[in-house]
Amino acid sequence: MLKLTHRGAWLLIALTVLAIPGLFANGEKEEESDSVTLTTYFQIDPANPQQEGYVKMLEAFEASRPDITFEHEYATGEAFHQKFQAMVASRQLPDMFTTYVGKRTAYVTETGNAMDLRSFLTDDFMGHFSSATFEAQGPEGEIYTIPPSMAVCHAMYANTAILDEVGLKPAETYEELLAQVAPLKEAGYYTVSMGNKDQWVVNSWLLSAFVERMGGKEWFNKAMVGDASFTDTPFVRSLEFVDEMVKKGVFSPGVNQMSNTEADQEFYQQKSAYLIDAGWRTSAMVSILPQEQQDAIHMMAFPALPGEVSPNSSAAVPSEGFGMNANLKGAKAQAAFDFIAYYTGKDGATIRLNHGEIPTFGLDYSNFDLPALQLQYAEYSLTHPMGYVIDAKMDPEGMGLLNPDLQAMMFGNITPEEVAARYEAWVAENDSNRM
Amino acid sequence: MLESRHKKFSYYALLLPALILFLFVIVFPIGMSGVLSLTRWKNYQMQGFVGLANYGKILTDASFLKALGNNGQIVLISVFGQIPLGILLAYVLFRKFVKGVKFFEMMIFLPITISSVVVALLWNRIFSPVGVYTALVRSISGNPDYVMRISESPYFAMIPILFVLLWMHTSLYMVMFLANMQRIPKSSLEAARIDGAKEGTILIKIVLPALANVIFTSSIFAISGSLKSFDLIFAMTGGGPVDYTNVMSIYLYKHTFTYNNYGYGSAVSLIIVALSVGLISFGRGIYGHFQKKFD
Repeated sequence: MLKLTHRGAWLLIALTVLAIPGLFANGEKEEESDSVTLTTYFQIDPANPQQEGYVKMLEAFEASRPDITFEHEYATGEAFHQKFQAMVASRQLPDMFTTYVGKRTAYVTETGNAMDLRSFLTDDFMGHFSSATFEAQGPEGEIYTIPPSMAVCHAMYANTAILDEVGLKPAETYEELLAQVAPLKEAGYYTVSMGNKDQWVVNSWLLSAFVERMGGKEWFNKAMVGDASFTDTPFVRSLEFVDEMVKKGVFSPGVNQMSNTEADQEFYQQKSAYLIDAGWRTSAMVSILPQEQQDAIHMMAFPALPGEVSPNSSAAVPSEGFGMNANLKGAKAQAAFDFIAYYTGKDGATIRLNHGEIPTFGLDYSNFDLPALQLQYAEYSLTHPMGYVIDAKMDPEGMGLLNPDLQAMMFGNITPEEVAARYEAWVAENDSNRM
Repeated sequence: MLESRHKKFSYYALLLPALILFLFVIVFPIGMSGVLSLTRWKNYQMQGFVGLANYGKILTDASFLKALGNNGQIVLISVFGQIPLGILLAYVLFRKFVKGVKFFEMMIFLPITISSVVVALLWNRIFSPVGVYTALVRSISGNPDYVMRISESPYFAMIPILFVLLWMHTSLYMVMFLANMQRIPKSSLEAARIDGAKEGTILIKIVLPALANVIFTSSIFAISGSLKSFDLIFAMTGGGPVDYTNVMSIYLYKHTFTYNNYGYGSAVSLIIVALSVGLISFGRGIYGHFQKKFD
């Protein structure tokens, strides 16, 4: 039998104590190889009731994938972008972050910091999404984010109760709409509510759809790179329609003094027959308006314009989604993509739809108990061809010229031709699409 | 000799922390802005040095000149509106021309205690096309198309903003003047009254000279505050419609943080600093001139 000396016993104890952390460390290493921790920086406010769909989706994902742990950081509005820009500048990016399809997060997508997701995307996966979801997001066809939904930026809502009262039907042509102004005014109603105080509204909610109608995506793609000009007929004619609508009293008075929210209120208070706004406004209508008023609302695209080449079309921009750090590799990269696929795919889309979001992932809506207005929106986004939203395609600095000029035109201070000429001159000299 | 050197050393040692702070917080950022103002940025990256091109572009940009003109209007309403009105109100309360002085003091002071954004939202609610004032005029006049067209005029769109600025900031000056009026020896006022001086004479010959210092200080506040006006106007109109209510700080904000052109924005900020220093120096000159006259 081995007999330990006093000194030997102490040595053994010391060796044992030293060995224990080693054993645990090995255990940890084993655990690390099975689980992944992802850091995120998302433009989301989880406390906001409108983000409940995201919160529920996240809970469901975490339950289904206990091997993935998140360390989340959230921010919203300008604060999000300011910190994100600082992160990019200091190369201290998290594993996942919010990315836009347009220029809004160009500071991360156009600087090589966001991963191109195409290597993860299979035809089978992409086949479930609406056609505009996977449009190229970079010059080489890069895909940095899977848009979870399409933000439909033009829709027209008709209050059929008011129209019935005046003996009218939702206008099918532009001329019909103009003809409805007088009888509606006589009955004490405004024709169209739209609030352009914030300057971008006419551009995003109306002009973009008009430009799509008059020129289509083909013309716009050419105009972006300089093979066509913003002084061409599609753009000028679109401006002329806006100008004519103002002159003929289609909009309620003070359109450029009214905020978007105030215009909504005017329509909700049944002072106007139509509202021009975004497609997702249905969510607010469902929660604010009494059922009877909801039932009277008919969602439609702007009536047919004379000379249009892309009939019945609207304008939409893919919503912001989640992107991945370009440096992610191996299990971490796969885990990050799994999360994106869950969020945008069938499971996440189902949860988000139940919380009022119309996803890009194709779902059979007959299986869902959705309010009628939400169903109208879902159908609208699937059945109308979607053109570009101008400010998502062109440089923001140019919008700083175009949007005020639109207001000046609506006040009668400059002509549509002048607006087009000034914008084209700016784009030709400065816009990054022409460089 | 040795004691004097020790004293000097002590002074420098005591000044050093404040000097370091001043250099890092004031001098370095201004210097850095000066360097940045000579650069051009695109897509969040510096493209290179462009010399004084940014300054040339700013000073020929009609939108900047419009903003400069609007800031000029704010300076005028601040210096020649808020301050005189503040003096007048303070004098009325000081001389107790109205009953319930404490009540009026509180009511006049109230606007400055409210956040600028709340004030902006409040006035927007009143004057917007779906606001209280518009609804009232529509119901009285029977004209359902009435809106306040002054806000759509390139020449007069600033008037509602100037009115709100006057309403909001006069109270601060009033309190400052009132506090200083209360330090004027009552015997001087009594003597003037016994000599048969009228209220106007008392105000001009006794009260205003006694307030000269505080009027000058208020003018500095008014000028510098006017040139950096942002929050109220941004929340009220965002600089619109068109650029009719744009001011230099909104112009600066858009170019720096919306278009991410940091060089251009830095140049605008230095122009604002130069204008502030210039106008304050001008005010100081005028004050010095009057001070000599009174002395």
